[in-house]
Amino acid sequence: MAILQNILVYIVLAIAVAYLVKKFLLPNSLFASKKGSGKGCGDGECGGCH
Amino acid sequence: MSKSINVALIGNPNTGKTSVFNQLTGLKQKVGNYPGITVEKKEGICKLPRGVKAHILDLPGTYSLNTTSLDESVVVELLLNKNDKDFPDVAVVITDVENLKRNLLLFTQIKDLKIPAILVINMADRMSRKGISLDIPLLEEKLNTKIALVSTRKGTGVERIKELIADYKSLSISPVLDTTVIAPEYFDSLRETFPKEDLYKLWLVITQDVNFTPIEKKHIADTSSFTTKSKSELKRLQQKETILRYQFINGILKQTYKVDMNAAKGFRAALDKILTHRIFGYLIFFLILLTIFQAIYDWSSYPMDMIDAFFANASEWVKDTMPPGVFTNLIAEGVLAGIGGIVIFIPQIAFLFLFISLLEESGYMSRVVFLMDRIMRPFGLSGKSVVPLISGTACAIPAIMATRTIENWKERLITILVTPFTTCSARLPIYLIIIALVIPDGRFLGLSYQALTLMFMYFIGFAASLGSAMILNKILKINSRSFFVMEMPNYKMPLLKNVAYTVVEKTKSFVVGAGKIILAISIILWFLGSNGFSDKFKNAETIIDTKLKAEGFSEYNQSRIEEHLAAYKATLKNGEEKNNLRLTTRGLADSLDRKKKELVQTAEQEEIASYKLENSFMGYMGKAIEPIVRPLGYDWKIGIAVLTSFAAREVFVGTLATIYSVGNDGEETIKNRMAAEVDPITKKPLFNLASGVSLLLFYAFAMQCMSTLAIVKRETNTWKWPTMQLVFMSAFAYLVALIAYQILK
Repeated sequence: MAILQNILVYIVLAIAVAYLVKKFLLPNSLFASKKGSGKGCGDGECGGCH
Repeated sequence: MSKSINVALIGNPNTGKTSVFNQLTGLKQKVGNYPGITVEKKEGICKLPRGVKAHILDLPGTYSLNTTSLDESVVVELLLNKNDKDFPDVAVVITDVENLKRNLLLFTQIKDLKIPAILVINMADRMSRKGISLDIPLLEEKLNTKIALVSTRKGTGVERIKELIADYKSLSISPVLDTTVIAPEYFDSLRETFPKEDLYKLWLVITQDVNFTPIEKKHIADTSSFTTKSKSELKRLQQKETILRYQFINGILKQTYKVDMNAAKGFRAALDKILTHRIFGYLIFFLILLTIFQAIYDWSSYPMDMIDAFFANASEWVKDTMPPGVFTNLIAEGVLAGIGGIVIFIPQIAFLFLFISLLEESGYMSRVVFLMDRIMRPFGLSGKSVVPLISGTACAIPAIMATRTIENWKERLITILVTPFTTCSARLPIYLIIIALVIPDGRFLGLSYQALTLMFMYFIGFAASLGSAMILNKILKINSRSFFVMEMPNYKMPLLKNVAYTVVEKTKSFVVGAGKIILAISIILWFLGSNGFSDKFKNAETIIDTKLKAEGFSEYNQSRIEEHLAAYKATLKNGEEKNNLRLTTRGLADSLDRKKKELVQTAEQEEIASYKLENSFMGYMGKAIEPIVRPLGYDWKIGIAVLTSFAAREVFVGTLATIYSVGNDGEETIKNRMAAEVDPITKKPLFNLASGVSLLLFYAFAMQCMSTLAIVKRETNTWKWPTMQLVFMSAFAYLVALIAYQILK
C-alpha cells in the first residue's frame, strides 16, 4: 500500500509540474488549434491570470 | 457538404450586437449596457432554415466606416478585403430603434459597398414606451433592403433574422447613394485611373488613414487625369459625404419614423441630471461604492465561514477514512488545503461581480465614465480610460484589451501601463484574509473598519493608476490629438438572466482558472514541504523529543496549552450549571488531565511538523530568500508565498494554506492557522498590523501577474513597456512595503 501511495504521489506531482511548465514556460503557439476561435478576454475567459 | 454563409454583425457601439450574436449562435459572450464590450471579432455558428449553416462574426462597434480607433479599423479592414476568409456574404447591420438616425449612417455606407445588407432594428420593446412608430414596409422600400424588428431582451424577431440571412441572395446590392456628387471631378479622375475598381471602396481605402494612424499604401503618381488630394481636403470631402448621408437619412425617416415627444421625455433626463451632477454625481458614486464594500463584507461572512469549516472537516475526513500514507496526506494537506484557500472567496467575488454587473446593465456605468472624464483629463487620461480601469477590478487582461476603444495612442498607452494598479479580483483573496487577520473588528458610522480598509485598498489602486498616469503624461513625448465622444445608453432594468450569467461566468472563470494553477502549485509545495534530504528532517521526531525533554515547550506553545486548558475548564463548569450536574473533584482532575495530555500531544506534533517544514526542501528555499523579504516583516513562509504568486497573485493564499497544512491535523481553519503563526524572531504573531499593512501595500502595487505582462506586450507590440512596468511596479511595491513596515513595527 505504501508503494502504491508513493507511486500515486509521483504521478500527481509530474502532472502538476507538466501543467505549470505548459502554462507559463512553453509558448502558447505550440498548443494553439489550427483555427483561432476568436474567443478572447473580455468574456470572462481570460485563459491568462485566472 | 454545402458551404456555410459568412455573416458579419456590424453596428454602432451599444446597439446589442453581442446579444444578437448570442441569440443566433447560442453562445454566451459577455454583454453589457455600455459601449466597447466587443473590441475584437468573435465567431460562432448558427443553423438557419432549410439546413443552411452560417458562420457568424461579431465585430466591434463602429459609428461609421471612417475609422478613428483600433477596434473600429477591424470592421473596415474586413469589409474592404474580399480575399479575407471571413469576408461577409451578407452584413447584418444592428441598430437601436431610439438612435436610428445616427445608426443608419453606417448602414448606408455598407450598402454603398455593394455588400448584401440586412437591417436589424433592435430594442423594439422600448417603442411603445418611447412613443415610437415605424413604417417598416416603406423603410424597406426606401433603403432597398429587408428589415427585422427585434428585441433581444424579450427574445423576439431572431427567427426573422435567420430567415433573412438564409434568403440573402434575394437582397439587393445596389447602392443607396451616389457619393460621387461630393466631388464629381475628383471621382471622375479616380474612375479613369482605376477603371476596374469599385469607386466607393476606392474612396474608403484612400480616406482610411485620415482619422487614424497612417497605413502603408503604394504611392500613385500624379498624372494628367489624376491628382492626389491633401489630408485636409480629403477630410473636408469626408465631412461632405457625412452631411449628404444624413440628408438622405433625414428624408427617409421623416416619412417612416414618428416619435410622440410627450411619451419620450422625462425619466432619463431627470435621472441624468442628478447622476452626472457636478457634486451629487460624485457623492452618489461614492455612496454606491461604500454600499458595495460594506455588503461584500457583511453578506459573505456566513457562507465563507461555512466553506472554511467544510474544507477543514473534509481534510480531517480524508485522513480518517483513507488508508494512511503519503498520498492520503497529499490529498488532505496539499490538494484540499490549496483548493479550500481559493474556494472560500467565492461569496465575496460573486458579490463584487453582482454589483459591477448591476451597474453595467442598468446603464449607470456610462454615466460614471462621463463623470470621470473631468477628473481624468489632468492625469493625461480620457473618460474612455475609466472603462478599462473599472474592468480592471475583474481582471487586467480584458481591461487592457478594452483600451482599444481609445483613439489617442498616448492616452491608450498610459491607460495600458497604469491599469494593472487597479485592484483586480486576484488581489481580493489576499486583501480579505490579511484584513481579517490584522484589522480589528469594530464600526465607524455603521461601517466596519474592515470594509473601510478594503475600500481604501481599492482607492489606493485607483490613486496609484492616476498618479502614474500623471507622471507618464509628463514623461512620454508623444503628440496626438484627443477628443471624447461617449455613447449614453438608456437606463434599463437589469435583466436577471444577464446579471446571473455574468456573476456565474466571472466567478467560475476565477475559481476554475485560478484553481488549476493553485492546485498544481499546492501539490508541488506539499511535496517540497513534506520531503527533505538533511539528517535534521529525517530525525525530526527524535530531535524534538530530546529538545522537549530538556527545554520543554516554547513560551508561546506553553501559554497556548494553558489557554486551551482554561477554556476547557470553563466549558466543563458551564456544562455543570446548564445540566444541573456536579463533577467530583477526582472526575474533574481526570478530565483535565486527559485534555492536557491531548493538548501536549498536539503541540508536540506541531513542533515536529514545524521543525520538519523548516528543514524540508521548501524550508531551504524559503530560508534562501528570507534576507530579501525580512525587512518587509515577512518570514520565509510568506517569502515562499510571495515568490509562487509571481505567476498569479491569487496563488498567495493557496500557498500559505498549503504551507500551514503540511503535517497539521486538519481540524483548524486557514484563518486560524494563519492567526496562530508566530514570528520566530520577535515571538509575536506573524500577521500583525505592521506586516499585514506591508503585505497589503506590496500586493497593491506589485506586478505579480505573468499573463498581464504578456498581454501588454501583445497590445504594445514590444517588450519595452512590459519590462518597464515589471521593474517599476516591483521596485515601487517593495519600497512602499518596506517603509510601511519600518514605520509601523
